[in-house]
Amino acid sequence: MARLSIEHLRKSYGDLTVVDDVTIDIADGEFLVLLGPSGCGKTTTLRMVAGFVPPSSGKLSIGERNVTALPPWKRNCGLVFQSYALFPHMTVAENVAFGLEMRKVAQAERSMRVAEALRLVQLTGFDGRYPRQLSGGQQQRVALARALAMEPDVLLLDEPLSNLDAKLRQEVRVEIRDLQRKLGLTTIMVTHDQEEALTMADRLVVMEKGQVRQIGTQRELYEKPADRFVAGFIGRSAFLDGEIAGNGRFRTKGGLDIACAAATGMGSATLALRPERIAVGGEAQGCPNHYEAKVEHASYLGALLDIHVSLSEHDRMLLQIPNRAGVAEPKPGETITIGWAQDAGLVYPREA
Amino acid sequence: MSTAAPEAVAGARTGLAGALVVPATIFVAIGLLGPIAILFRYSLNQFIPGQFMVDGLTIENYVKFFTDSYYLNVLLRTVRVAVICTVACLIMGFPLAYVLARMQSRFKNLLIMLVVLPLFVGNAVRAAGWMTAFGSKGALNASLMGLGLIDHPIEIMFTENAVLIGIVAVNLPFMVLTLQSVIEGIPRNVEEAAFSLGAGPAAMFRRVLWPLALPGILAGTILTFILAMNAYATPVLLGGPKFQMMGPLVYGQFAQQNNWPFGGAISFILMTATIVLTVAAHLIVQRRYR
Repeated sequence: MARLSIEHLRKSYGDLTVVDDVTIDIADGEFLVLLGPSGCGKTTTLRMVAGFVPPSSGKLSIGERNVTALPPWKRNCGLVFQSYALFPHMTVAENVAFGLEMRKVAQAERSMRVAEALRLVQLTGFDGRYPRQLSGGQQQRVALARALAMEPDVLLLDEPLSNLDAKLRQEVRVEIRDLQRKLGLTTIMVTHDQEEALTMADRLVVMEKGQVRQIGTQRELYEKPADRFVAGFIGRSAFLDGEIAGNGRFRTKGGLDIACAAATGMGSATLALRPERIAVGGEAQGCPNHYEAKVEHASYLGALLDIHVSLSEHDRMLLQIPNRAGVAEPKPGETITIGWAQDAGLVYPREA
Repeated sequence: MSTAAPEAVAGARTGLAGALVVPATIFVAIGLLGPIAILFRYSLNQFIPGQFMVDGLTIENYVKFFTDSYYLNVLLRTVRVAVICTVACLIMGFPLAYVLARMQSRFKNLLIMLVVLPLFVGNAVRAAGWMTAFGSKGALNASLMGLGLIDHPIEIMFTENAVLIGIVAVNLPFMVLTLQSVIEGIPRNVEEAAFSLGAGPAAMFRRVLWPLALPGILAGTILTFILAMNAYATPVLLGGPKFQMMGPLVYGQFAQQNNWPFGGAISFILMTATIVLTVAAHLIVQRRYR
């Protein structure tokens, strides 16, 4: 195991830059998740770490080794693919032994390590089966065992769970995480599934348009999103466009004057509010910011009620209230009072 | 069980599936099996000069073939040419098929058309082109002699090499297309998995790509081998009158010597040799890789 450092990594195809100046340091034994919408460059970044895509510029090091120019077979990165990529003409044991065979590990030690890897993923006794005789979840675990058996310096997971059904995904998620902790594996996982990312990661990297938008823990990303994109991508946010009207004041396009601790400086800006931070009814009356809002649409989500309201012609927002006993969802057209604290919102400069 | 199982072929239960294979079966029966049966019967007849064919039941035609070193040499030469051409097609075709299969360019279909292009040119046309290019008074020899690089023209036409090159040119597209479709079915990330596990390109090829492509390699080699064994036009046009292979030999017996029984026997020897060698190769490969 080793730390991995990605420095100023860049990949362009002609005029198109798909990964733009990405710098990430991954500590020994850390589970890092690259998260972002499709086409954000997360998979290309992972493939550059694995050695399948040569970077246009930048540096990759595993431990003290500069691996930037090394081919994949000299990097010692264990890789688990979305489609598992098992060798269909080899048995489970032969698949798992492949990496050891390539490293010229002696037969006796090889079979010991294969057995150990299969035990780790709970597939003892499946040695002689062929991949086509296994379920998707089992194939996935063989792929994991195959990557683990060669004792990689870094484990790379490319959307490893997206081909599994929902229930299995929850289980495998926990299994992978436990295994990773137990073995102290430095791991990068790529996913577009936010819940998966939040439940598995030590730290997350949010990427968009080839750039790193923010690196941080779950709490940091949710509580202090670095920009409007992260605020909208991690969890949900209600956005109000407007401008900063002096220190601590924000004026929306629709003319609402909002007390907001985060409003400093000047110019046009966007106020982001987490929907669950917005109070309704009597509770809202006591907030420094409280407004009459017209209900446009309400959805019943079981534990939560999602309510879309308009504050003025230009100001629409989303709020979420817990579904406590006796709370009926408001009807469209109804007027309710909503409010939030001075420190509830975050302000971002308006994107062009 | 049987009621729950889906039909393997649409219409299997109504007998429609049986009807689907009828046209091809009739065609093959009339066009191939019938004539072969008749030919086999003829090969057991006697040939008496002046009397053409005399009904009989003798193996003398087969004995004649296997006891005459001239005919045995023709068979040997045919097998040698077919094996060399097949190996050459495989060695040249695999890399090309691999590149085509893995290509994601929008020109891919165009390039596949280019692979097939040699088949657009008939054997006779190709041979005529070669005579003007490689003949002793052709463009190549004229240029080399004009430059003073050689004193005598290089003999290319009417040699075994010319036939080899000619058959490879015709057979290569069959090999490439067969391999390409099989390699396309091998997911790229299986190769990447091998790389990430520490296999260099050579080890990846030997342990992953080759075994997974084996069905295509078998199909491609069988196809090119059969085509080469039975080649007619290329040996006649590029090999010249002194170069004999089995295909032209059969035709010569029928058309020039009017010796139908011996022609039939040679046909059967050619067919049997082709089948035996193909099956043998198939079995050897299967035993080694499965």
